[in-house]
Amino acid sequence: MALRKPSEIEPGAMRAGLLAVLVHVIFFAFMVFGLNWKTYPTEPVMVDLWSSLPPAVQPAIKAAPPLPEPKPVQPPPEAAPLPPRIETPPPPPKPDIALKEKIEKPNPVEKKPVEKKELVKKEQEQKERKEKERKEKEQKEQELKEQKARVAAEVAQLQREQQEANAKAQAKAAQAVAQSRLANEMAEYKAKILAKIRRNIVMPPDLPGNPVVEFDVTLLPGGDILDVRLRASSGFAAFDSAVERGIFLSKPLPLPPDPALFPKFRNLSVKVHYHE
Amino acid sequence: MSPAVTQDMSLFHLIGSASLLVQLVMLLLLLASFLSWWYIFRKLFVIREAIRQSDEFENVFWKGTDLNALFQSAAGSRHTAGSMERIFEAGFREFMKHKRQPGTDITTVMDSTRRAMRATYQREMDNLESHLSFLATVGSVSPYVGLFGTVWGIMNSFRGLSNVTQATIAHVAPGIAEALIATAMGLFAAIPAVIAYNRYSSRIDRLATRFESFMEELSNVLQRQASG
Repeated sequence: MALRKPSEIEPGAMRAGLLAVLVHVIFFAFMVFGLNWKTYPTEPVMVDLWSSLPPAVQPAIKAAPPLPEPKPVQPPPEAAPLPPRIETPPPPPKPDIALKEKIEKPNPVEKKPVEKKELVKKEQEQKERKEKERKEKEQKEQELKEQKARVAAEVAQLQREQQEANAKAQAKAAQAVAQSRLANEMAEYKAKILAKIRRNIVMPPDLPGNPVVEFDVTLLPGGDILDVRLRASSGFAAFDSAVERGIFLSKPLPLPPDPALFPKFRNLSVKVHYHE
Repeated sequence: MSPAVTQDMSLFHLIGSASLLVQLVMLLLLLASFLSWWYIFRKLFVIREAIRQSDEFENVFWKGTDLNALFQSAAGSRHTAGSMERIFEAGFREFMKHKRQPGTDITTVMDSTRRAMRATYQREMDNLESHLSFLATVGSVSPYVGLFGTVWGIMNSFRGLSNVTQATIAHVAPGIAEALIATAMGLFAAIPAVIAYNRYSSRIDRLATRFESFMEELSNVLQRQASG
């Protein structure tokens, strides 16, 4: 009853095969042409920055072009003289050789005197005796001179020491003055700070005695307050908090204009009495 | 197919510079893709033809044509006949054999007729469904094969990167691009195969129900003829 052989391929098989090939051709064509596989690296661009346009240069360039035209005619005569110019460069290597020769020459000069010395030894011995006598005299003279020099040097040293001592004393005095000025300034500004804080404190009424409260205040450059810590309480919470509020209210605190002084104000200890 | 279009990243250059395993994977995928597309088109034609023939035969059958004449034409055009025509031919042939031997029980006649039709139906369905499993296999496996090629290619390109002190994306990019071609091919093979498989199997299912209902109806007609 097998009406159709299983091995028999239906008539559309060839057509199907061709279509399948077509599909793949289209797919690969798309892969190749549809996608931009090329990567063009962007070429670097050179930019000259001009602060102002040079207008004078442009006319000069325009004027120049006429000149090059006659030149092309000249090159043949110029070409002939050029070769000798090229031959001239070789000389530079020669100096190196000359230097080497100079370095080598001294050696024979040194060897020859050794032979001559044997012949001239007697003469030299006589000369040496004379020289020794001379040297002895010179030594005596030199010793005298040295003694004189020593005395002079000692005197000079003493003078110098005195000068240095004077300079040191002056420097110390100047330092002392500066320090006292600094101390004055610091005291002045501390007083200003305290005064400003006092102005801003709303004192709680009717406290017995004269309680004292002490705060550690950390400052920022410019007089802003970074941190306020209670160091020693007065025993009255109302007074403590009034002083703390007063410190915060009085920012920025007055600081000396010299920034070098600020480190001494960075950690400030503020002591406030109830009665002034 | 075409000359290399680019200086550094042409498709063919990338495929050519891929490692041997990746190239093998690509070849396998190309083959699978080609075969699946071939079967897709073959099945498309076959199923379309089967549906057209079934429509035609049902048209003729329900017009009230004489069954004997229909059987003669079906037996005559045996090789070009559609599935439904063949089922009819097998059933009617069996029925006529029994009819020639008088005194046979009607139920045995109908049973054997139905068996003959069922046998032809099975054969036809097998013919229609052939190669569909290949499409299913390509659809489910080729993405993994492509992925395998890609992973292998990326592994290689990263291994090459270990020798470079200053790693840039430019060192890895060509290797990854070349590896990703394998995934692209796998997906290209898989997606149409899966779509075709789903579409064709649903169409074949519908054809099968049509054949089955035709078989029932034909057996009813034949039974009426036998008793009448």
